[in-house]
Amino acid sequence: MSTAADVARLDGARNRPGRTAVWIRPERVKELSLLGVIVVALLVFGFLVDDYFSGRFFNRVTTSVAITAVLAVAQTMVIVTRNIDLSVGSIVGVTAYLTGQFASSNPSTSPAVAIAIAVGLGALLGAINGVIVAYGRVPAIITTLGTLAIYRSWLISHGEGRTITADSLPSWVVDLPTRTVFTIGGLDIRVVFAVVIVVVAVLQIAMQRLRWGRRLYAIGSNPEAAAQAGLPTRRLVLGAFIACGALSGFAGFLFLSRFGNITVVAGQGLELDSVAAAVVGGVSVLGGSGTLVGAFLGAVLIDVLDQSLVRVPQVSEFWRNAILGALILAAVIADVVVGRRFRRRWSAEARPHTKVDSSTDAPDTTKVPALTAPEQGGEAGDA
Amino acid sequence: MNDTAPVLAMRGICKWFGATRALDEVSLELHRGEVHALVGENGAGKSTLIKVMTGIYPPDEGAVLVDGEPVSLRSAADAQRLGIGAIYQEPLIFPDLSVAENIFIGHQDQGRVVRWRQMCADAEAILARLDVHIDPRAPASGLPVATQQAIEIAKAISLDVRVLIMDEPTAALSAHEVDRLFRQVRQLRDSGVAVLFISHRLDEVFEIADRVSVFRDGRHVSTDARDDVTRPRLIAAMVGRQMSDFYARHEHHAGEVILRVRDLGRTGKFAGVSFDLRRGEVLGLAGLVGAGRTDIALALFGIAPAETGTIELDGRSVEIDTPRQALDHGIAYLSEDRRHVGLSLPQSVTANITLPSLRRYVSRLGLVDGAAERSAAERFRRQLSIRTAGLSQPVGLLSGGNQQKTMLAKWLNTEPAVLILDEPTRGIDVGAKADVHQIIDELARSGMAIVLISSDLPEVLAVSDRVLVMREGEQTGMFDRIEATQERVMTAAVGVA
Amino acid sequence: MPEALRERSWELLLAVILVGTIVYNATQSPVYLDVDNFVNLFRLSIEKVIVAVAMTFVIINGEIDLSVASVMAFAACVLAAAHESGVPFGLAIAIALAAAASAGFVQGLVVARTGISSLVVTLAGLIGFRGAARILLEDRSVGEFPDWFGDLGRADFLGPMPFALVLFLVMLVVGGVILHRSSFGRRVYVIGNNADVARFSGIDVARVKLVLFTASGLVAGLAGVLFAARLGSVRANIGEGFELDIITMVLLGGVSIFGGSGTLLGVALAICIVLNLRNGLGLANVEANTQTGVIGALLIVSVLAQNLLDRLPLRRREVEAEA
Repeated sequence: MSTAADVARLDGARNRPGRTAVWIRPERVKELSLLGVIVVALLVFGFLVDDYFSGRFFNRVTTSVAITAVLAVAQTMVIVTRNIDLSVGSIVGVTAYLTGQFASSNPSTSPAVAIAIAVGLGALLGAINGVIVAYGRVPAIITTLGTLAIYRSWLISHGEGRTITADSLPSWVVDLPTRTVFTIGGLDIRVVFAVVIVVVAVLQIAMQRLRWGRRLYAIGSNPEAAAQAGLPTRRLVLGAFIACGALSGFAGFLFLSRFGNITVVAGQGLELDSVAAAVVGGVSVLGGSGTLVGAFLGAVLIDVLDQSLVRVPQVSEFWRNAILGALILAAVIADVVVGRRFRRRWSAEARPHTKVDSSTDAPDTTKVPALTAPEQGGEAGDA
Repeated sequence: MNDTAPVLAMRGICKWFGATRALDEVSLELHRGEVHALVGENGAGKSTLIKVMTGIYPPDEGAVLVDGEPVSLRSAADAQRLGIGAIYQEPLIFPDLSVAENIFIGHQDQGRVVRWRQMCADAEAILARLDVHIDPRAPASGLPVATQQAIEIAKAISLDVRVLIMDEPTAALSAHEVDRLFRQVRQLRDSGVAVLFISHRLDEVFEIADRVSVFRDGRHVSTDARDDVTRPRLIAAMVGRQMSDFYARHEHHAGEVILRVRDLGRTGKFAGVSFDLRRGEVLGLAGLVGAGRTDIALALFGIAPAETGTIELDGRSVEIDTPRQALDHGIAYLSEDRRHVGLSLPQSVTANITLPSLRRYVSRLGLVDGAAERSAAERFRRQLSIRTAGLSQPVGLLSGGNQQKTMLAKWLNTEPAVLILDEPTRGIDVGAKADVHQIIDELARSGMAIVLISSDLPEVLAVSDRVLVMREGEQTGMFDRIEATQERVMTAAVGVA
Repeated sequence: MPEALRERSWELLLAVILVGTIVYNATQSPVYLDVDNFVNLFRLSIEKVIVAVAMTFVIINGEIDLSVASVMAFAACVLAAAHESGVPFGLAIAIALAAAASAGFVQGLVVARTGISSLVVTLAGLIGFRGAARILLEDRSVGEFPDWFGDLGRADFLGPMPFALVLFLVMLVVGGVILHRSSFGRRVYVIGNNADVARFSGIDVARVKLVLFTASGLVAGLAGVLFAARLGSVRANIGEGFELDIITMVLLGGVSIFGGSGTLLGVALAICIVLNLRNGLGLANVEANTQTGVIGALLIVSVLAQNLLDRLPLRRREVEAEA
């Protein structure tokens, strides 16, 4: 046999059926509908709040979304492998605190060094998670529940209650959130926001186009098949946790520059926001599907709500969590409902192709009972 | 490279699990361009050997040689690098990934960046060679099992495998899909691939294999050219004793009608199904996989209720919307899918047997009477000769045949009036198969009404009193025992004159 | 019997750790073995351990309930808000418990009917019911409950034990009987092992899940009410983060996060270990937050140890694959 690729190319040139159907991937639909929800939310708030669409509001959302978005993306990279990282909040706390400590005792610290410290520390903590999960075979939820506590309690005993104060930090750190790359139509694009956009875009492309990224999806989609296909599953899962830790470390740096004053409880609870943003963004907690762009949009929606609710006179800020909880529920229920319909359409469209195959195959291809409605698990019968 | 050396040779392989020796000094050679069938009862060591070949289990003793050179297989990736691939009964696909990615995800040589366009074109071309025409960008979930299997073969081809292990690849396929699969297998063989083909269906072995090896109790018994073996000899070698291929069937005396089904239908699954079932009768449901036989069973058992038509039990019209209702009406359903819906593998034999009838073992306070439970299980252990170290053993530790018997006990313990058996002998060895046939015969004689779904046509014809044939969701024939010949039933099932 | 030993090996290991902890603690402090000291251990964590009993059922069933701490706060806030607006106190308690049970019911309904992962549904619950608590009390603190109410968590009720502790012990025993001896318990295990097998055996899977989540909500509500009694006043943020401690106790007790296995005895031992360990570390002058870290480490190490035990010969999965 000559190499498969050669044969494939030869055959492919002759044998490609003419087909015009454009597949709309379910992920795109999710992203677009989420974008739609964000627009609707903005319009509703614009109607309720006077002077809502202002440069100041834009700044506030973009600065605050930077942190959540990075964490949402970090969380997504782990969740697609059918794992979860509940320790991201603690990683943010540790990296923000230690980076702040280093910068305040070394006033000449350059941005590159500070970021490297934060990212490196985060990667290290992520690697600890990853080693325990991938090589110790401890379920991720247990591992990161444990390290959530361990990292945090280490920080508390290390910090001994001292707070890193903004005035002890080099001025560039504290000024960073207000630095602007450029301004369009009265809207300042902050450096921080621009960087985060770039990070998300680069990572999204990596997840889509790199072998590494596709393999993370493969592991989450079917771990057994991944092992069988010879994928280095342990190394890949470790990699996902390291990436998540590194990104959380970066978020820790953003946290430091945004707040300046860092206590030992910094970042507590952010793990829930990150999971929430990913889930709202259409990432399946069962692994295998979901995009970073989706998670980013999920984070944007959450922050828009966060920043807007305080300004709506009719409701108080105390409504924030209740609305967020309802939103998550709505997102996943919509996902199930829409997903069902989609799967039906996909398998409906897949059939004509198979049917060309041979007329005798008709029984399997025209009546795929189990596969059009996989949620009815038991019917895997005659299909 | 040495052309005369076998492409893959196993020499004196031993493998222990605790105190159990799963493989005992096993040797096997696979040559270029041959289809080598491997047969043996469950527990004979076939699966363990495959796992050694594919690098999942390291052997405790012995050597693996590729092209005459000793190699060490420590992981699936090692095996892949050496050109050893495997396809399993249940295709291992990535449901969320596209067809093309499913084929190429394991490739080490495609660079770090995915070239989608190229990959899709390659995937399409390879699939076309296998006579499969699907969009390579479609997600793999939602494709029929046969197509998913074709994807796995395409994966193997794309990896340039030199040894392809196929572990019961035909178990879930219809006759036509098996034909196509065999065409694909021959194509692979002719291009020089060594195929190791494992199947319980001896007809298929005789059709496709060039050589046949037999395993028994973890040992290699024989390897012969296909033309040098006969069916009885093969069976004798597998079970280690001479036994008849056919079982002795008694006369059934059909009583009054217990189940009357009229015009039963469910959208997209089946329509217009009508039949009567009498006490003491075995009604065979024949047809290709996907013809709607299991769907009828699922409707009668309330998993996926019928939308049209009527069901009468003992002359009374009944509604069946949940399995609980079906059980209350005396209908039991033994599923074809033992691992996923049949048995709770980590739980004890006893707990599995009493599961659907647990109510009977509950005292007034809602507490389970353990002694009563155990004595019921013990009765079935003796009656069905379930071989187990103890009734408190997790049922997952039993062999396939004994699991099947446990599942049968579970449903018999509900004391059903109508028992639906869905592929009751699939994937179990020859000895256990005969046992199951014997049990069906005895149950019918005791007056139970039985519906038998099986893809094994000789089995259906041998065991049933009447045969109902389905094609594409429609009832295309009903034959009495005397009328039901292989040709007639097949004609009704396939729909060609 | 070696098999029986292997089945109970986890509980044995826990018992050894527990005895070790107690012996060590006793050498550190002469009053350690006093009954009052033990009662006190439980008193300070009574809400968590009560919820852990219900959580054991939920996790064995193959689900998880992250919302318990928020439902606790929600129930406490409902109680406080009702009390504040002049509702008779007994009625206020009833309303609070009903609200908590409904919170569990709603989540159970979504899980059972849509099949969405309970991790996500109860994450929404965790955030949402905390939000509901906040809407009720905003940032106020509400107190001035009747005296008898405060006594529930403090005063001796049976011997040296306060009402809450007696309640916990009763729940533990009743829960153990239900889980291990009743047909309902059997169904909980089967569903946790394989919900499809359960469904094909005539078990109403949705109903069992609904019952469990409702019970989980109700028990969380009860814990919230008891928490209010012990604290004497309620804020919307009470019990934040408790869910992690509770889940840690259950998992440390040897309950599989994937469902289908584990015992209430193991969880009871794990609870005792966590409480004694915290107390012992306290005696050794280890700060509270470091104690949390130690328990986190214990959680990870416990599962690691289980995995190492599994590595010993006769791994079950391999034999099963062969069969």
